[in-house]
Amino acid sequence: MHPHWSLRLVARESGTMADQSTLPPECAELIEELAGLFRDSEDIFGCDDMFDYMARRVHAVQRATNPVLRRFWDAAGGSEPGAWHEIPPVPVAALRDVPIASGPAEVVFRTSGTTGGAARRGEHHVASVDLYRAAARANYRRHLFGEDGAAARTPSAAASDVTLVSLIPHPTAAPDSSLSAMAGFIAGEPEVAHATWVFHPRQGVDAGAFERAARAASPPVLLLTTAFALVQLLDALGDAALALPRGSRLMETGGFKGRVAAVDRAVLYRRVRDALAVPESHIINEYGMTEMLSQAYDGAAGHAGPASSRVHRFPPWVRTRALDPLDLAPLPPGDVGLLAHFDLANAASVCHLLTEDLGAVTEDGGVRLAGRAPGSDLRGCSLTAESFLRATRGRGPGSRP
Amino acid sequence: MTESPPATDDNSPSGRPVLDGWVWPAGAPSPISHLQIRAGGLDIRHPEPDLDVAGRLVASLRASARVLAAIPSRELIAALGRAGESFVNSIGDNGLWRIAQNAELSREMTAEVVSGMAATWSTEALEGLVYAEFPDPRVLDGFVPDNERLVSATAPGITLHLGAGSVPGVTVMSIIRALLVKSPVLAKPGAGDVALTAAFARHLGRLDPRLGAAAAVQYWPGGTAPWARWEKELFAAADQVVVYGSDATVESVRARTPASIRLIEHGHRIGVAVVDPTGDPGAVSDAARAVALFDQEGCVSTHLFFVLGDRAAAREWSGALADALSEIEFALPPGHVPAGELSAIHQMRGLLEMEAASGRDTELWYRKGLRWTVILGGLDGFSPAGGRTAWVIPAADVAACLQALSPLSPVLQTVGIAGIGEERQGLAEGLARIGATRVVPLREVAFPGAEWLHDGHRPLRELVRWTELH
Repeated sequence: MHPHWSLRLVARESGTMADQSTLPPECAELIEELAGLFRDSEDIFGCDDMFDYMARRVHAVQRATNPVLRRFWDAAGGSEPGAWHEIPPVPVAALRDVPIASGPAEVVFRTSGTTGGAARRGEHHVASVDLYRAAARANYRRHLFGEDGAAARTPSAAASDVTLVSLIPHPTAAPDSSLSAMAGFIAGEPEVAHATWVFHPRQGVDAGAFERAARAASPPVLLLTTAFALVQLLDALGDAALALPRGSRLMETGGFKGRVAAVDRAVLYRRVRDALAVPESHIINEYGMTEMLSQAYDGAAGHAGPASSRVHRFPPWVRTRALDPLDLAPLPPGDVGLLAHFDLANAASVCHLLTEDLGAVTEDGGVRLAGRAPGSDLRGCSLTAESFLRATRGRGPGSRP
Repeated sequence: MTESPPATDDNSPSGRPVLDGWVWPAGAPSPISHLQIRAGGLDIRHPEPDLDVAGRLVASLRASARVLAAIPSRELIAALGRAGESFVNSIGDNGLWRIAQNAELSREMTAEVVSGMAATWSTEALEGLVYAEFPDPRVLDGFVPDNERLVSATAPGITLHLGAGSVPGVTVMSIIRALLVKSPVLAKPGAGDVALTAAFARHLGRLDPRLGAAAAVQYWPGGTAPWARWEKELFAAADQVVVYGSDATVESVRARTPASIRLIEHGHRIGVAVVDPTGDPGAVSDAARAVALFDQEGCVSTHLFFVLGDRAAAREWSGALADALSEIEFALPPGHVPAGELSAIHQMRGLLEMEAASGRDTELWYRKGLRWTVILGGLDGFSPAGGRTAWVIPAADVAACLQALSPLSPVLQTVGIAGIGEERQGLAEGLARIGATRVVPLREVAFPGAEWLHDGHRPLRELVRWTELH
């Protein structure tokens, strides 16, 4: 539910993406194997032993191919993990300064980096866009296209056609955005009869273009949006209701951090119902982040329950734990803590991530999100990092002793 | 006094204890209705913004000025000193608990902070302060000879104190300073400093009604829209404004204070230290205390240490500092902080560990489950992280320290020194040139004396207006 976003395409000097064969062979083979499993045999990851086996295989390959990560783990203890959860998680902030990858990247996705300034934007060096597509596809098809299991992998079994309207920038307008890349994957699905992109990173929402696209749509609309852009759209529409065709659905993602005043999700969904005639059961929240190639959704479009009671679900190749904020000890199901995700799709970067998000894990592996961990309202009179950087900016670093 | 029920144990609907965050003089009107906000582990109840009430409150304070002016300085010092000394003994366990809850400090830390702050509220300390600034304190009572002329020092009228911090005791000292120069004061404590300030004002009023009539306390959420007109009224009605806070707070108050009103600013600052381990092998325990006190939230708190010597020496010292921080974490436990701040510590540690893994010359000490972190690295990665984080930088010599500190000039305040011998004077002169306003032994960093030159100013002299008579 917090912003993903941007990534910068690299390795473009020749105008083509880097070839995967430049990855260390064991890493390339693993990626290919995982992509195949994600496409065709995802159910095997539901077995804890299989997940653990694959996680430790990935770990071994990462140790062999990713020297930065290996040194990080060595400093954290270094012993051979007996299980996936013994592999030390990497705080997401650690991806801000240091490229962490097992080889050259086809694409570099970048975070919005609102807390540390543009110079501290997180980067995710992604070795295989194909693996990203495979990781994202099964889950978005399951939750947005109303398919399940093997059907999700069979275009011929697809749901009815949809018109895609995206308030997420087109991948070419935001080439370093993981979310835009995913929107591009969705636009390429066989059910998408037509796609219209009505948001630009600089100009924002083009409400007129949205209205034209919505009125022209005969099949149901699949609206992809960030919560921020959705508020912009609803504000622009004002009282003018624009009923989307029956069966239309909406995927919203991301928070409102630093963009607009926080909006209660229930209020937002009511506004969507009133303005676009899309009921709450057809509005799905996606939880993802730049640093992860897999995403979680809080329901299947058309069948989702009340937003307040929903649980997010990742694909079976992701495991999530809630950790005690004090000492990072694992918490039992139901207890709210800092979320750590282990995403096998990150096999060529960092699988085990410690996030800044709060949530609880349910008995059956779902995730009940509780938002970004809050800071303190109270502050002393000691300078904050932000004020320090502002006050000393432009004065140049002194000669280092 | 219009006194809120002392030390209320009422509970709000949230189940948290409720504290009344205002103490108005006896002549002031009673508040009609109240609002409530959360501050730390307490709910604070305070009057609603009522412009009519604001005007009458100011009038009540203004009326007290004549009585205050008639009290001879020596008597004033003694009365305030008596209040300060007896106040500390009157706080009690419940009072301390409330202060701790309000400031989000541990009980042990709160006791240490209150004790350290209160040392500046004694008669002896206040005498030292007044005499340091006014060698003949009768100048506060009327004209005294000054070479060929007569001079007097008079507070311009009412002082409005705007606190924005969570460090307990800052507002009490500001009230005492105003009263010492015979200025009635309306004090808005920072959200985390309400419990101590309100308790002090109540105590003062009980002990000496003349002083109680000249000191009003009220918390309100400063800078927020519902209070904009209230603040505008007060900024215009006060004769001088003392503001503590972040850049944003200070800039906001500066923009809204009429040009004719004196504005005294205390922005957020940073503390650093210069240590020669060979000259003071025991400096690590003083260093740990300078980091840990106030949970590193004080403007005097030390964030950055320059250790004279090579990297190996700095590494050894960092390890010793880590041990000392572990020890002090048990003696002075950190207060409660929200999950976001704990998360920020994990993220910072992870970032630095990854930097180290990628070959940058960063080394890290911390213990899982404890708050402190020691970082050995270069200045280019430094920013004040808080949460008991000490950044250690090896420095070849004093000159290198000064050069490295130069970019910090706009925000520099206290510099603790330890083990510095012959170069002490030269170091202090260099630090003064780049903006440091307080250079003290490392062990004295946390609690400045009453007479300290707060952010480079004489704290009483900046509150008075001089008049000469020829």
